[in-house]
Amino acid sequence: MYLALVIAVLVALVLVLTRALLGPTIYDRMLSVNSAGTKVVILIAAYGFLTGRPDFVDISLLYALINYITTIAVLKFFEYGDLGSGAYQEDDI
Amino acid sequence: MELLVDIVSGIFILIGCVFMVGGAVGLIRMPDFYTRLHAASVTDTGGILFIMIGLILQALFIFDNPMAAVKLFLVIIFIFFTAPTASHAVAKAALMANIIPQCQDGKSVVDKSLASIYHDKKLSPTDAKQQVKTVEGDDRV
Amino acid sequence: MFEDIAAIEHFVVMILLTVLIVLTLGIIYLKDLLAAVILSGLYSLVSAAIFVAMDAVDVAFTEAAVGAGISTIILLGALSFTKREQKPQKHNNLPALIIVCMTGALLIYGTLDMPSYGDGKSPANSNPQLAQHYLQKSPDETGVPNVVTSVLASYRGYDTLGETAVVFTAAIGVLSLLGLRRRRRQEDPNLTPRQRRRQQSEDT
Repeated sequence: MYLALVIAVLVALVLVLTRALLGPTIYDRMLSVNSAGTKVVILIAAYGFLTGRPDFVDISLLYALINYITTIAVLKFFEYGDLGSGAYQEDDI
Repeated sequence: MELLVDIVSGIFILIGCVFMVGGAVGLIRMPDFYTRLHAASVTDTGGILFIMIGLILQALFIFDNPMAAVKLFLVIIFIFFTAPTASHAVAKAALMANIIPQCQDGKSVVDKSLASIYHDKKLSPTDAKQQVKTVEGDDRV
Repeated sequence: MFEDIAAIEHFVVMILLTVLIVLTLGIIYLKDLLAAVILSGLYSLVSAAIFVAMDAVDVAFTEAAVGAGISTIILLGALSFTKREQKPQKHNNLPALIIVCMTGALLIYGTLDMPSYGDGKSPANSNPQLAQHYLQKSPDETGVPNVVTSVLASYRGYDTLGETAVVFTAAIGVLSLLGLRRRRRQEDPNLTPRQRRRQQSEDT
């Protein structure tokens, strides 16, 4: 069962990475990077169960956090042109 | 008991796998950006929910490891907050960059760019930033 | 059982390594620098998954925090000072290719001396006195009662110091780049007195 899960995650990961390499726009790539991050989270959790030691699940938790931060940072870069601009919130104006 | 847990969690994991692989295929096959976004984001959240429920059952009843179950539950909660937020941010950034949603025959859904409609109602971030700069000078850059 | 798990581990690692090669070729051939930065973040994520599969959890932690987190953000910060497209190259860089290939060959030659992955007969695993030494002598030698802590904080103290510094720098860099600044609130004349009071109580 875990082996099937790991293989399914690997197949999905390869498909998503294909979109990241093809992606016509930069937003396609960003979307597939975010999606691949979720796949890696599942892969690490499932791999721990596959090898019989489900103790490393907190790494997948950490990955979920890092993936989110990276996505938000890159999207801020898209919208504002540089990274420091997020300090200007709408209340400031 | 163990057989029952195995069957139930196996069904959950199978459903999750179908979601996940289906979403990945949709990410490849869909014609334009917004449909791809739809395929990827919804199935990601749903797939991780089902897979993690299956793994939680396994951790609780087969591996007898409640700590791992709690961590998996935290992963579920966290993904449920962040994945829709990230998808929304991607969609908003694409909308701001004038990527227009399209119909099946290749026509645009709207005759006016959605981003310009958005700009009419509300200040775009770039304009807002320039206003801030003109008001406050350079001390905050 | 053990044979199965070893075979599965090989399978997973091989697939992920293939993915890494394809990603690297993609990064080389892309002219859009922003896309290259995004793909390099993806590269770090996948390689961290490889480290987890090979049981190097601490390395995976550092790789995920530094490679996927901070280096992507730093590269983005650098990109905001330049253009998004790579310049077309006119001169050919054959010498650089030769140097890179030679360096790679030397590195591969260097790994030939190492014991193979998971080898039970490697010097560190086959010498029984080595593990016994750390288990028995470490309280006397370092004064730390816990063996794991003594190895981490005393025998490999500099290594741990460097790792901690790297992760700390990553966290500080992310915080400063993402601009966590306390918002200033302005007085809004349209607020009801109750809302204004609530704002003031929140501010203090």
